[in-house]
This record gives sequence, structure tokens and C-alpha cells, in this order.
Amino acid sequence: MKQFPAIPDGQAAAKHPLRVALVEDQQDTRESWRRLISSFPDFECTCTCTSAEEALRMIPEAKPDVILMDVFLPRMSGIECTAKLKAILPKTPIVMLTASDEDEILFLALESGADGYLLKRTKPADLRAALLDVMSGGAPMTSEIARHVVASFRRKISGMDPSVSLTSREEETLVLLTKGYSNKEIADHLNLSIETVRSHLKNIYTKMHVRSRAEAVAHYMTKRPG
Amino acid sequence: MLEKIGYAIGKLLDAKSGIGRAGFSFGCRRGRASVLFGAWALWSCFNFTALAQTDDRNVNIGTPTGEDMVEVLDPTWGVGSWIWAGETADKQTCRFWRSFEIPPGVMVARAQLHIGVDNGYRLMLDGRELGTGSDWRSITEYEIGLLLKPGRHVLAVEGFNDNREAGMLFGLRIELADGKVIMIPSDTSWRIALADQRGWESKQVAPAHWASAVVVSKFLPRNGLWQERRPTMTVKVPVLQPVELYFWKRGWFQAILWGFIVVTVLFCLRLMARLAVQSKAQALLNIERARIARDIHDELGARLTELALEGEVIQTELPTGSAVRPKLEALCEKARAASGAMDEVVWMVNSRRDTLRDFANFACRHAQRFLASSPIRCRLDVDGDLPELVFELPMRRNLLLGVKEALNNAVKYSKAEELFLRIHCQGQTLLVVVEDNGAGFDLELADSVRNGLTSMTERMKELGGRCQIETQPGAGCRVEFQVPLPKSSSRQSSVGSEADLPLSGMRGAALVSRGGEEVTTR
Repeated sequence: MKQFPAIPDGQAAAKHPLRVALVEDQQDTRESWRRLISSFPDFECTCTCTSAEEALRMIPEAKPDVILMDVFLPRMSGIECTAKLKAILPKTPIVMLTASDEDEILFLALESGADGYLLKRTKPADLRAALLDVMSGGAPMTSEIARHVVASFRRKISGMDPSVSLTSREEETLVLLTKGYSNKEIADHLNLSIETVRSHLKNIYTKMHVRSRAEAVAHYMTKRPG
Repeated sequence: MLEKIGYAIGKLLDAKSGIGRAGFSFGCRRGRASVLFGAWALWSCFNFTALAQTDDRNVNIGTPTGEDMVEVLDPTWGVGSWIWAGETADKQTCRFWRSFEIPPGVMVARAQLHIGVDNGYRLMLDGRELGTGSDWRSITEYEIGLLLKPGRHVLAVEGFNDNREAGMLFGLRIELADGKVIMIPSDTSWRIALADQRGWESKQVAPAHWASAVVVSKFLPRNGLWQERRPTMTVKVPVLQPVELYFWKRGWFQAILWGFIVVTVLFCLRLMARLAVQSKAQALLNIERARIARDIHDELGARLTELALEGEVIQTELPTGSAVRPKLEALCEKARAASGAMDEVVWMVNSRRDTLRDFANFACRHAQRFLASSPIRCRLDVDGDLPELVFELPMRRNLLLGVKEALNNAVKYSKAEELFLRIHCQGQTLLVVVEDNGAGFDLELADSVRNGLTSMTERMKELGGRCQIETQPGAGCRVEFQVPLPKSSSRQSSVGSEADLPLSGMRGAALVSRGGEEVTTR
């Protein structure tokens, strides 16, 4: 996708390490994450925040390449913070960090604008791979999340622009995801390139964000008529 | 007042000794019979004390006996004098009332009743209508001996006058078994009931303001205008039989029925109370379970994750080739595994995650993760619209363990390329199928997996379901779990709209995860 930076080639990465911003309220955990990320040769943790409020203040100035966000933060949640940051920095990918993979929470995070999520107990190698994937426009989606997405798109929202409903290819991709197919298998099955599948997923994400915002507005309007 | 007390006592006696009046009725309506019976009982109890307070005329029953007996009834026609209310009018209805007493313990041998009214009448005994007549020229004769039992009885006649003169002729001659005779003529001992008095025809005691009847003429010899008034014939009515009272109309039966209903209602109330207490305890247990699950997750889980993370950090800071590195790596791996295992336990006991949909999600996730490290591709086939049924802990646990066992077998023995996890609802049954396209095996010879297979079957039996294994060498293996779905409807607390659930759940969790100390110290 054009609005996201392309995969940095080896040389570029060596010259300009990817700048990571980290939002995590637990000091020990924050420090560990910072050191772990900085230990990757092509990454650099340039900004650490202890709360969502601090993140909203510091991250727009720091302009990182990617943001790692804890879901549970005191006061303002990571999900709310994600939605607000997305409004300021729409092009910066945000990856949620979570202790447990409860689909509802993850789905909500993705809806609010997150571009992926990582379990906190992810191995360092997987963490790096996931960050690079998100940077290159990947949109990770498990079958459980896909099920939520399908259900969400089947729900009608009043006054919703038909352009944000799924195309048949996108729907096919989602349905295959719910059946446990990997991106590669989906590409084979639908006779597409894996890049196309990834782009479909990215589009689904974008539509999901639009829908969630429209839904929020619709919700607000039904709550307060006139 | 008297009537109320009588009613109450009557009710009591009704329940205890109702059999005593079996086969005998005062009317079709039970309520009325009860009132009568109650009043009679009261009267028996208080006999003269109660009656002494009432107007003497009420108990003035003609009971001359034996040889001294004065014949007050006309010997030919068996009636007394012509009586009517004080005033006579055209189209007038006049209600005559009189009570009398059969002495206790004496049977009635015969009781002949003669009546004739100018112009018509309706005759009632103890509230029960005995007959009507519309021609005063014929005297009607009733035999009511079978209706009279010892105790108090009430006679009531509704007379109707078309025009000009009016009068009633009445005579009742009761021959008792002991030879005594009771005679009740039409005379001034009759009372005139008021038109607006409801239930006057079965009233036990006449109110003091009811006037006495007036003798308008002697029967014979007649005087004045009554000259030509002479009955011409007597009409006999067949012997009146007591009303047969069916057993379900009788007091004892109804008392038993009422008792049964009361006992049943009390029993139901008791059960309901116990159920309420129990469901409250269950709800508390669920809340407590959810709290423990959160605490374990937040406290222990976070620590384990940190442990792994710190291990990783230390690892990166060690010189490459250090001998400690692989050991640290193994340590981190163990911490991660422990964290994952704990997540599973927490999921299982967490009452906030106890719906069928949660189960399906968890099973799918587990299968995918479990098979990710094997060459088997995991395929999911799950109903999109699984109902939000509450799926209790034993069900979740046993089913999940069954699925895990099946997955384990598949990875160990099947050499399959593809494995399907299917979760479907078929009516009231939940079908969970683990199906691979691998080597399969001979069920008869399957020693190595036998333990796993029997435990799967046992688990399903525990849930009231069953486990079916279809396999043949070279034809894959299909393990099917069938369990009955819980009957309870969808859960109210957490289902709601899909948009509400995650947010509220997240907020609750966020609150506890960071305010953990507060919660645990409280």
C-alpha cells in the first residue's frame, strides 16, 4: 500500500534504523521492551511513554516509524489512545501489545485503528518479523478476528456509504481466513499473488476503521437525538 | 354477626364431620349449604342462649304434642288461615318467611306440605326451590319428609298477587318417628321479608324489622269478600328427594383438595426460595471465579511474561557464543509455555468466557497454534451463527480436553496433511469433529492410543453426550464429539450487542489489571 513505507532494504536499514515508540505503564516491562527492541540491529527505541496522555503529547513530536501500544493503560486505554493517535498520525502503524489474546478486545483495537497486535510473550525473533511485516503494509489477521470482521460487516449501519462494504474478493479472502487458511494458501486458492491478498486485507482494515468511526457517530446520534 | 360466627364454625365442622350429612343437601351451591350448615351448627352449640337474644317469634314453632295437641290445620285441606302482608296491592310480590326446628336425634316419618296462593307462589325450603304454583283454586301437596333432618329449617314463599285480594294458604304437618307431630299453619308467626333483602329465602334468623304476616281471613268459615274463595282440588306432587351431592362437591373432598393445594403451593414456594438462594450462590461463585481468574492472569501472567522478556534481554546482552545462552533460551521458552498454559486455565474457569462462541474461538485458536509447529494444515469449519449459550465449566473443560486429545493423536500418529476442526449446532446437539486425512488406524488394534480414546469416551459420557471414532488404515480418522446443548437461553449479562461486550469487558479488565492491588487487598 502506497501510504505505508515500503520494506526497507538491508542497506537503508543499516543507515536509518527504524524508530519505535513504546507506550507501556509498567516500568520493568517498559525497560525490558526498550532494551530488547534496541538490541535488534535495524531498530531503535526512540520514545517511551508511561501513559496514553504522555503518548499523545510526545509521539506526534517524535514521529516514530512504528508505535507499540499496551492495550491496558491506566485512565485512558490503549485503544482510545490508538484512535486519537491515528487521527494525528494516520500513516504511522500502531501495533497493540497484549497479555492475552481475547478476540473482542483485539478486534476493538483493530477497529480503532491498530494495524496489528503482538502477544507480550512473543519470541524476539517473531516480534521483529511482525514489526517488519506491519511496516511493509501487512495486516495480520487470525481466523477468530476474521470471524469478528465478517460479523461486523454484516451488521447494518444506518447511512453507511456502500463503498465501505466488502468486495466479493475481500469477502472471499475473509471467509478463507475464518477457515484457517494462511495468506499463502489463500493466494493459491484464489489464484492471486500473495501481495494482492495482503492488499485485500489492508483494504479490509481501512474499511473497518471507516465503519467503526461511522458506527461511533451513528451511535452518538441515536443516543442524543436533535 | 351471628351469621359470620356460624359460618366460621360451619366451615370447621364442614371439614371434620361433613360425612355426617352425606347424601343430603340444602342446595346446589356449596357456599350456601355451608352457610346454612354453619348456622345450624352454631345454633346447636349455643341453642337457647343465642336464640334468647332474638325475637321470640322466630322460634315460635307450634309443637303441641300427643293428646293435648290442638289441630291448627284444616282437617280437609291441611292449611291454616289466609295470610298476606299488611297492605295489599295489584301486581304485588310478598315474601313469606318462617323457620322451624326438628328436635335433635329424632327422625321425620312424614311431612306433608299444603300450599295455595292467590295468585301464584314459589316455594322454597332452606333456599332450595321445591315448586311453583299459579292457581289458588287447587292446593298443592308436597311430601318433604326426606328433606327434613334434625335441626333448623327455613321455609320461604314468594307469593304474587295479580289484582285485588291476595292471600296465602299454607300448612305443614310433620310426623316424627317418636309419634310427635309438628304443625306449621299459615298464621301471624310468618314474617314478611323486604324486597331488597338478598338471600332472604335462606336466612336463619329474621331481622327484627321484618313485619309479621297479617291474617286477612280465616280459611273456613270465610268472612266478607272471601266468601267465594274455596279451593276445589288438591294436587299431589311426587315425593321430593334430597339433592344428590357428588363427592367432589362435598366438604371433606374439598377440604382435602384445599389442603393438597396449600401443601403444594407451600412446597413450591419452599423450592423456589431454595432455588433463589442457590442461584444467588451460583452467581456469587461465578463472580468470585472471574475475580480469581483475573487475579491469576494479571498477577501471575504478567510476571511470567516479564520473566520471559527479561530473559530475552539478558540473552541479547550476553556475548555471542556464551554457554549460558541456550540455557537462558530454554528458561524463556519455559516461562512462555507456562504463561500460555496459564492463559488456558484462566480461560476455562473464567465465567465471563463461558459461552459456546467463546468455546469455539478458543478451540480454533488452540488447534491452529497446536498444529502450527506440525506439518498438518489446520482447517476450520465453524458455524457462523453459533448461539450465545452458556457453556458451563465441565462442558467446556471436557470438550476441550477431548479435542486436545484428538489433535494430539493426529499430530503423533496420523501423518496427515490436513486436519479439519468442525463445530456445528444440529438442533439441540453440538457437534465437534476432528477429522484428518492421514494414515488412520485399526480401532481394534489401537493399543497406543487406547487410553486416549477411552478417556475421550468417558468424558463425553460425563456430559451426557458421546464420542464416535471412525477410522480405517489408510482412510484418515474422524473423531466426533456429540453433546446436548444446554437448554438455558442466552445469557443476559454479557451477551448484549457485540459492540457493548468488548468495551465493557476491556474496561473491567483494565481497571483490575492496573488496580490489582486495590482489589486484592480489599
